Amino acid sequence: MTAVSPTAGGGSGPQNVFMDQFDLEARTQRVWDINHAIWFTLMGVGGGVFLAGRILNLTEGLGYLLGIPTVDVVSFGAIAVGGAILVADLGRPLQAWRAFVNVRTSWISWGAWSDLIFLVVAGLLVLPALSLGGSEPFSGLGWDPHGGDGGGLALEIVAGVAAVVVMTYAGAVLARPRAIPYWNSPAVPLQFLLSSAAMSVAVVMLIEVIAGEPVTAGQMVLLGLLTAALLIAVVVHLLTRTAEPGKRESLERLLRGQYRGLFAGLVVVAGTALPLVLAVVGAAASGARDALAVLCFLLLVPGGFWLRLLTLRVGIFPPVHIPGVASPRTAGG
Amino acid sequence: MTRWGMVIDAARCVGCQACTVACKTENQSPLDAWYAPVVEWEEGEFPDATLNYLPVLCNHCEDAPCVTACPSGALTRRDDGIVMADEDVCIGSRACMTACPYGALHFFEDRGTVAVEGAPAEAAPSVPERYAHQRHVRGAVSKCTYCAHKIDFGLENGLEVGVHPLATPACVVTCPAECRIFGDLDDPDSNVSQYLAGHGGGEVLRPDAKTLPSTQYVGLP
Repeated sequence: MTAVSPTAGGGSGPQNVFMDQFDLEARTQRVWDINHAIWFTLMGVGGGVFLAGRILNLTEGLGYLLGIPTVDVVSFGAIAVGGAILVADLGRPLQAWRAFVNVRTSWISWGAWSDLIFLVVAGLLVLPALSLGGSEPFSGLGWDPHGGDGGGLALEIVAGVAAVVVMTYAGAVLARPRAIPYWNSPAVPLQFLLSSAAMSVAVVMLIEVIAGEPVTAGQMVLLGLLTAALLIAVVVHLLTRTAEPGKRESLERLLRGQYRGLFAGLVVVAGTALPLVLAVVGAAASGARDALAVLCFLLLVPGGFWLRLLTLRVGIFPPVHIPGVASPRTAGG
Repeated sequence: MTRWGMVIDAARCVGCQACTVACKTENQSPLDAWYAPVVEWEEGEFPDATLNYLPVLCNHCEDAPCVTACPSGALTRRDDGIVMADEDVCIGSRACMTACPYGALHFFEDRGTVAVEGAPAEAAPSVPERYAHQRHVRGAVSKCTYCAHKIDFGLENGLEVGVHPLATPACVVTCPAECRIFGDLDDPDSNVSQYLAGHGGGEVLRPDAKTLPSTQYVGLP
């Protein structure tokens, strides 16, 4: 009988994913970690806040910075900071412009374009409202910054589509290759999208509370639906392809190993299930709604970050060969 | 059409790591980056224990996930099937490293050595330096090229690829057990095709990844 026991190998140093250790084991990816988790989170929040503000009709009346609605300032800021972290994390940051080249097949290229298009188009959309020293130098631009006319609406739609891609592409980057079975699932981008949407609604509700506006029952219902869908997506992902080499080791780490407490505590319970309960309570109890909204924000954003970080950290490559398991024969050339 | 490929007869490998060292010498790969290691593992328990060896390298996949994932276009697949990394174009996103099921991509990170910074990836002790395809760049990714510089040198100088030592990957030339065979997978009369035919076809690593590798195996444990 074989004594091979593919364990999730560790070790230090990202020079190579696993070939710096010449043995046949499952290997944990070590090239993407906390910087990417922050970047993924900020992109999700950035795109999501822009959309949530418009879907909930909350861009106006929640405060302004230089004439730009606070909701949009938070959105642009998150994406700008996320993009800066991404660029700084590259091996060759000065070559970052090349990330736009391979739109034919690379999700990172799609992400780079969507980030750029979002910032440019959404920036153009709100530009007429920009206020500098009491004057509005771009007010003569021919569209309504609130999307109330044809030009403004067109910009809003383009920015909105780009925002959806911004929220989704990080998950797609992980899900497309088959190398890491835990990542190779539509559940990963779905989780990222739902988590981004839930975090974004919570951020907008926090802005509402800070601005002294009441959080509505409808907003709480929306948050409840998003967190419920996220919880389902997480559970389904945990229950599918559980015996597959690589994913088996990932699940072992998440559910029984070193990340058990963080995953169960911060992602599943505090980051998803508890906000779901609070949203349900908040939908019914109008008196406590503002406090519950703040609590949801405090739970959901760290939960979203840990969801992404743990997804990265349990990215495990199965062994390149499993002894005794034959592959289909090639034709001989 | 030519499709260069390698057949590795794992049953012949004695685990001497000569291929690993020959590759390192030929390609001057960055510190800690081994393009052609031999992984090993034990099976069974004494007195019925065996030590197994598995030479691995870039699989030069027909459907190469590294090429698909690379945002900058630094990774490309030549018409002859060899997957190349242009380190001058690479931005160091390392998307290829998470996409490759074989761990065949190597990030050149600053670890206090500048020994190979700017040097041709192929030190080319065996063929003139002008055939070098890569130059090691800090912050970029590099990989096995099947010694494309030697193949190109051989083709230009009328040498038979996979047979003449100057036109054959260094790991193949140096293997004392002759467990590596290199040639044109699309030519049914080539040495690789004949070897595969004689063994009823080859196997590939990580078949679940569906990458259609040009590196194939016989005699896998």
